[in-house]
Formats: sequence, structure tokens, C-alpha cells
Amino acid sequence: MNLPLVILLLPAFATLAIFAVPASRPQVVKGIAFLATLGVLVASIVLAVTFGTTDAPSETVRATGHVYKHVMTVPWVPALGLQFKLGVDGMGVAMVLLTALTIFTGVCVSFSVKERAKEFFLNLLALVTGVFGVFVSLDLFFYYFFYELAVIPMFLLIGCWGSTTKTMSRDYASMKLVLMLTTGAVFALLGLLAMYTKAGSFDMVRLEQLAATGTFSRAFQLAWFPPVFLGFAALVPMWPLHSWSPGGHAAAPAAVSMLHAGVLMKIGAYGILRVAVTYMPEAAQVYLPWVGVLCCFNIVYGGLVAMAQKDMKFVVGYSSSSHMGYVLLGIATANLIGVQGAVYLMFAHGVMTALAFSLIGFFYEQTHTRMLDDLGGLMKKMPFVGTCFVIMSMASAGLPGFANFVSELLVIIGAWHAGMYVPAILATWGIVVTGVYLLRTVKSAFLGRMPARWEGLEDARTPFQKLPFVLLVSTLLLFGFWPAPLLSLIRQGVTPIVASLDKAAQKTAAETGQR
Amino acid sequence: MNLHLILPEVLVLVGGLLAVTVSLVAPPARRAGLVPWVAGLALAAALAAVLVLRPDGVSLAGSHLSDGFSRFVRAMACAGGLLLVVISSSYTRRLDRGHGEFYGLLLFALLGVMLVSSVTDLMGLFVSLELVTITSYVLAAFKRTDPRSAEAGLKYLVVGAVSSAFLLFGCALVFGATGSVTFATISTHVAGKGFGPLLALGAGLVFCGLFFKAAAVPFQVWAPDVYQGAPSPVTAFLSSLSKSAGFVLLLRIVSILVVPAAGTPGGDAWIAFFGVVASLTLLYGNLGAMPQRDVKRLLAYSSIGHAGYMLLGVTVVIAAKTTALRVDGAAAVLVYLVAYYLTTLTAFAVVVALSAQGRGHDSAGVYAGLHRRSPLLAFAMLLALLSLAGVPPMAGLIGKFLVFFSLVGAAEARPGLYALGVVGSLGVVLSLYYYLLLIRDMYAKEPAADGPQGPIVLPLGTKVAVFVGIFALIGLGVYWGGAFDAARAAASALFAARG
Repeated sequence: MNLPLVILLLPAFATLAIFAVPASRPQVVKGIAFLATLGVLVASIVLAVTFGTTDAPSETVRATGHVYKHVMTVPWVPALGLQFKLGVDGMGVAMVLLTALTIFTGVCVSFSVKERAKEFFLNLLALVTGVFGVFVSLDLFFYYFFYELAVIPMFLLIGCWGSTTKTMSRDYASMKLVLMLTTGAVFALLGLLAMYTKAGSFDMVRLEQLAATGTFSRAFQLAWFPPVFLGFAALVPMWPLHSWSPGGHAAAPAAVSMLHAGVLMKIGAYGILRVAVTYMPEAAQVYLPWVGVLCCFNIVYGGLVAMAQKDMKFVVGYSSSSHMGYVLLGIATANLIGVQGAVYLMFAHGVMTALAFSLIGFFYEQTHTRMLDDLGGLMKKMPFVGTCFVIMSMASAGLPGFANFVSELLVIIGAWHAGMYVPAILATWGIVVTGVYLLRTVKSAFLGRMPARWEGLEDARTPFQKLPFVLLVSTLLLFGFWPAPLLSLIRQGVTPIVASLDKAAQKTAAETGQR
Repeated sequence: MNLHLILPEVLVLVGGLLAVTVSLVAPPARRAGLVPWVAGLALAAALAAVLVLRPDGVSLAGSHLSDGFSRFVRAMACAGGLLLVVISSSYTRRLDRGHGEFYGLLLFALLGVMLVSSVTDLMGLFVSLELVTITSYVLAAFKRTDPRSAEAGLKYLVVGAVSSAFLLFGCALVFGATGSVTFATISTHVAGKGFGPLLALGAGLVFCGLFFKAAAVPFQVWAPDVYQGAPSPVTAFLSSLSKSAGFVLLLRIVSILVVPAAGTPGGDAWIAFFGVVASLTLLYGNLGAMPQRDVKRLLAYSSIGHAGYMLLGVTVVIAAKTTALRVDGAAAVLVYLVAYYLTTLTAFAVVVALSAQGRGHDSAGVYAGLHRRSPLLAFAMLLALLSLAGVPPMAGLIGKFLVFFSLVGAAEARPGLYALGVVGSLGVVLSLYYYLLLIRDMYAKEPAADGPQGPIVLPLGTKVAVFVGIFALIGLGVYWGGAFDAARAAASALFAARG
């Protein structure tokens, strides 16, 4: 049995199963969602652990030596050469693992959803089916198909179960999110179609081979890299295309914020690496330095805006766009250390943000406010949740011992290697900014004097309530202290990408030399 | 005589006459139940005749052509008509008279749509198109006592008469310039001599007449008023099958009149003509739909927007430099048509079911909290709207994907077409906005306090139509290889005639 197919079909079938359950039986719905996502998590761990040694069918890109494993091909529309093709490389495995972890913990914290539980889980599982589809597809048509599949459940989840605050209504936030992401997607689609027209295939393995052997001319790359890159960069979100994201996080229910900030934004960075950079490395060499400039705005501007926020979800929302700036910086370095760091940070930041939003969601259910001015001293009533929040803040600020430290260090070293001294210095300074706003958040929400109205708050008591937090914290610590296995997985996926970037740089240098 | 070649048409004609007869002779109490069955069976028989006999050849003294293209369109018209009859049955059962007239006229209009695909000369073109149009005038004004329905019929008549005059004058000029009314001769003439000013003017007028049917700029102004005022099942017909008659003819006329002149300056001028019309139609429909709060009006503007996408496909047919790319463009239009009419009919199954609740049940306020009152209707409408927006896994995605696919394919040789791609992309985003607004009304809101409350009881016909629609939309959206192959075969028949 093909593991990526299992991972894709489990949530899809769970969606259909939930359809058949009457709305009056929310416990059954939750049970199905729990079991399906648990199954996906187990399958993903098996996929990750056995990835190095598996003898499942694989395909290799001859020109770059890039190996995709667990490959499965079903002809879909023979007239156009479309295939339903699944497969993963190390980078894909890391992302699948992240998604599985996020959705499992997301389902756990969503057990408290009471209103229209059936429809909630229906949408949540449809959403995650799309996300898994993106990470395991090896055909550009299905890649796009699954990506768009994820967008509409997101709209319904935020629009129906989201929260409205004084500064941001869920109606506005959900609409803005969908429209901006779709704008990005349709322009990226034009680029994907242009690639098909040139190469005659949507098969991503074949496209990689063709790209490495020079099918896409330099002029073609220079023309099409911007729309494809910007389409994905809107999802990352790169400054100045980021404005949908903090509001979207803030308005969404906890599990959706977790998936959204934890995984969905990574689809953008994944797409940049997998499609834009891999197929158009020469153009990437031209444009990536500019990305290195723009990502500084993400890091510094995002951090500074986060400092000024009063709503905790907005703090974490802006902090996300700040951290995704590090991911972009890692990609912009175009060297192995930096790109590895970027992908490692995608994983670490996903886990860390999922933790942050699950914790905020936990006490928001009881307090119905996230405004820092209203909170205070919560540590007295919720020592467990408070401690986890402090741990999350330390991880986010890049303290040694957490996966975030490893990745941010790699990104900054990579940037220094690439001669991007100013971005590297700004990025280092950005860590200090992160520390400032997170400590401030911890101080005003969890420490100090507690307003009397919070006397009745309850901590996470049962093991089931603690499970998602424990799982996420231990993942951060595990890969903080022992980065080697995850790093080697990621290296398997990004080495060919960096190699093609190097080759493009040499080619450009040679051509410039000739002139 | 090769009568078996026109057997589908004969069956539909007989069905229409039978429907009228049955409603005259049957006891009044049983009419409402009986007449839709007659109409439905006739269409099912005609569909079977198309699929089983696979008519191929020329009949009626050379004026009726059965090729792959016409088979595709006739099958589409019969299947869509069948679904339309099922949808209408839940509406007409509340009428106390006029069942025979309603289904009879509907079948005659469908007959017109079928004939449109098989015409071989300008006379046939005009007659078959008028068969669709004139029956539509009566259908639009079917609720005589309702002033809005009468107004819709009158508006449709006035604008329709003007566009018929355009069409007829255009046909006359084309005849004057080429000396013939048969497509084959006209095609040879254009291939040999290119476009003179007279022929260009004639062709332009013919296209204008067809733009009326297709609801394309600048002949789109009738659509919102007529869609809103006409009885809901008639609106469903106007926005689905009547519209496809326009596009079927556009493809046919483009293939005989414009494609043979491709490469000459006179021929290439049509690229800009169609490109501009397509862009304006796209923008007009999608921008106009944004402020609409009446669902039928909203669907009218959205149908104008969709006409824009299909016109993009027609533009590709003209602009493409190889026959393979032309076939891709025409196939994209055909798949889009199928996806669009399935989607529209599903949406109208919901609209008709809600209209049946009483007057004024088309405003978006009635859709607020629909998921509480009827989960099935809300879900069907959700899927239909997502399909209109072109979101996976719905049929509408495939139509849009193929149009963009053929557009980018042809744009490699003509970079100007990328501009149309950008307009089309913007259209996708604009349209998503107003579809999502309606989706939000249905799912994120509660039923309005002063509006209708309580669950909706659905007649069997609506349930059947809705389920067929849901499965067809998802089925075509996920597995579309077969439909694409059929559309490609049909499209290549369009260009095979000239070798």
C-alpha cells in the first residue's frame, strides 16, 4: 500500500464518513476525526522513519539525482498527459509530518467545539485533505487542484466559526484571505500553464529533468518567475502581500489558526522551492537577492508591529509573518545551509505556532477575550497552560534547545555565507525584537495581578486536554536537541535544488565571462 | 432521405406535440403529473437515439448535417432538457393550466437548440435560431398575470427583434458578398478571396446577432431584467441551453467564416474584435454581479461573466496558429458549456424550489440561514456556486482550466493573448467575491427574523434533480478525461470539414 495515498485518503474518507453521520451525534463525528488523524499521524511517522531505508517504488531525476520515493502513477487524462501521481522527497516528508502533527493536535483541541460540530469537522478534514494533497502530489495539475481545495473550507471555517473583534470582523478577514490567496493562485496557474506549453508535461519529475537540461530558456524564466513566485509568496506571506494573514489568524477558530499558520503558509514556501526555484533557477539567481531585501521588512516590520498589538492572536499573527521572513531569507541565500535552515524553520515554526494558537484557543474559550489589557496573572489559575506558553515563547525567540534555534542559526549562517551581511544582522536583531514582544505578552497575560473575574478559570486537567500541548512541546525539544534525523531528511530534498541553483549561477557567470 | 439521421429531432417534435395534446385530452386533475412525463420520455428517447444510432451524414436535401459536433450538442441538449423538465415539474405542478403549452414550447425551444448544431446554410441558421428565440419570448412572459413576467417577455421581445434584424441583415450581406448561403461555399470563398469590407460587415452583424443569444457585450442588457422577471424554470432554460445555442453557432460560424481566412490581415482583425468583446463581457458580468441582492439577477450577471470565459475560448479558436490548438480551444468551450449548464441547472433547481415557496423568494435575504431550513438545498447551492467560481473538485474548475490551458497554449505564438489571461484571472477573483457572499448568507447567518422560517419540504422532482446535479458536478470535476475526449472529438469534426 502506497503510504502517501493512505495519508491522502484517510482524511478524505473521514470527510465522507462524517457526511453520513447525523448531526445529532457529534461524539461520533469527533471520534471519526480523531481516529482518522491519529491514523494519519502514525502513517506519517512511519513514512518519516523508514524514508531512508524504504524500498518502495522510486523515481529519480536523472539530471540532478533527485530521488522521489513512494511514487504511484495513475493515468488521469491521457489526452493531456495528466496523471494522478503521488510521491515524496525528504522535504515533502517533513511537511507531511508537520501537517499530520498539526491536524492531530488541532482535532484534539477542537473537541470543545459545540456549535455545528459535524460541519466543523467536515470542513477541517476537507481542508487538510487539500493540504496533504499539495505535499504528496507529483503532478502540477493536482498540485493546484489540492491547493484550491484547501481555500474554500478555510473560508467557511473562519466565516462560520471564527471570532469577531473590535478591530477585525470574521466576515472581512475570511473574504480578504480567500481573495488574496486566489489572486496569487490564478497568476501562478498562468505560469504553470506556460510551463506545460513549453515542456508538454505536468509531471513534476519530468519537468525537473527538462528544467535541468535547459528546456526553459533564460528569457522564459525571467518572464515567468515573477508571477509564479509572487503567487506563492502571497501565501508565505511576503511583505507587502502579507496583510491578509494576521487578521485571518486572529479571526479563525483555534484549530484553523493552527493549520493556517502552522501549515498553510508553508505551502507557499514549499511551492517557491518546489516549483519556482527548481524549474527556473536562472531567474531565481536574478530575483532572489531582491527577496533577500523584502524579507528584511517581514522580519523587522512584522516584529515591530507585533510589539504594538493588544490582541494576543495578532501578536502571534504578526510574529508569524516575521518568522516567515527568516524562511524567505533562508531561501534567498541560495546555499545549502540557508535553504536547509529555511525548511527546518518551516517545520519548527509550524509546530511552534500550532502550540501558540492551541494555547490561546484554550483560555480564550473560558475568558472570551484575548486582549492583553483584560488579562493578567493567569499563571495562578492555569499553571500548566502558562508554562507551555512560556516554553512556546522561548522557542519562538530562538533559545537553544528548541528546533527554532537550530533553524534560525542555520539561516543566519547561510545568509552570512552568501554575503548578505545586512539581512543577517537585521535577522539577528529580529530575534531580540521577538524576545521583547513575547516576554511582554507573557508578562501581561500570565504574570502580575489577576483581575478578580478570572477566579473561575480552569487549567488543562485531563491527560486528553494536555496531550496536544505535550506532543507539540516535546516535538520542539526533540528536534532542538537532536536535529540530525530531520535535517538529513530535509537535506535529501533540498540538495538537488541548491545544486541546480549553483549550476545556474555558474552558467550565468560563464556567459557573462564570454561577453 | 436518411430519416434516421433526424430521428432525435423528430422524437422531440412529436414529444412537444404530444405534450400539448395530452394536456388537452387528459382530465384536469392529472395534467400536472402527466405532461412532464411525456416531455421527459420524449427527451430520453431522443437522447438514446443520439447515443445509440450515432447519426452521421447529411439529410434533408443537404440542409441538415450530423457530424461529431452536432452529436455532442444534441446529446447535451437532450440531457440538459431532461434535467430541466425534472426541475420544472416541481414548479408547474402548482399551475392550474398551461402545462401543455409550457412543456410544448420548452420542447420546441430544445428542438431549436438541437437543430442549431446541424445547420449547413444561413437560412437554416436563421430559422433554427428563431425557433429558440420566439418560443423563449412566450416562455418568458408565461406568468401573464405577473407584471414582471410580462415585462420580461416584452423586453426580451424588443431586444430580440433588434438582434434578429442584425442577424438577418448580416446574413444578407454575407450572401451578397459571397453569392451563396451554404456554409461550404462561403468557406471556400473566404479561403480564396479573404475578407472584403462587405463580407466583414456582414460577418460582424451575424456575430452581433449571436452575441444576443450568448448574452455578450454589447447585447447583454436584457439579461438581468429578463432573468429576474421570467418564471424560474424559464430563466434556467435561458441561462443554460438557450445560451449554448449562441455558442454552438459562434463556433460553427467562426470555423467556416473566420478560420479559413486565418493569417490574412482581414482574418486576424477578428482576434482583436473577439478579444475585446470577451474582456468587456467578463468585466461587465463580474463587476455588475457584485452589488446584486436578488439571486436570479446575480445569476444573470454571472452568466454574462461566464459568456466572457467561453468567448475567450472562441478567441483562442481564431487566434491559434495550428489546428490542434484550435481544437483545444473549441473543446474548452464545449466542456465549459457542459460544466456551465450542469452547474446552472443545479443552481436553478434550488432557485425553483425556493421560488415555489411564494413570491419574492429570490432575494438573498431568503437564502440567509438556508442550511438550517434545508441542508440539502444549501449544500447543492454551495456546490453550484463553487462550480461557478471554478473551485475544485467541481466541474466549473475544469471548464476554466481548459480555457486558460488553451489560451496559454495559443499565447506562445501570440503573446497578446496573455493580456486576456490576466483579464480572465481577475474575473476569477471578482466572481469569487459575490459567490462567497451568497455562500456566507447561506451558511454563516441565521434565517432572518422577518423572513420565512422553518424547514422546507421538497418535492421528489427537486430531490432527484439536486442529487443528479451534485453527482454530475463532482463527477465531471474529478474525472473529466472522458468528457474532454468527447469534446475534442466533437471539436475536431468542426475543423475536419475542410480537410
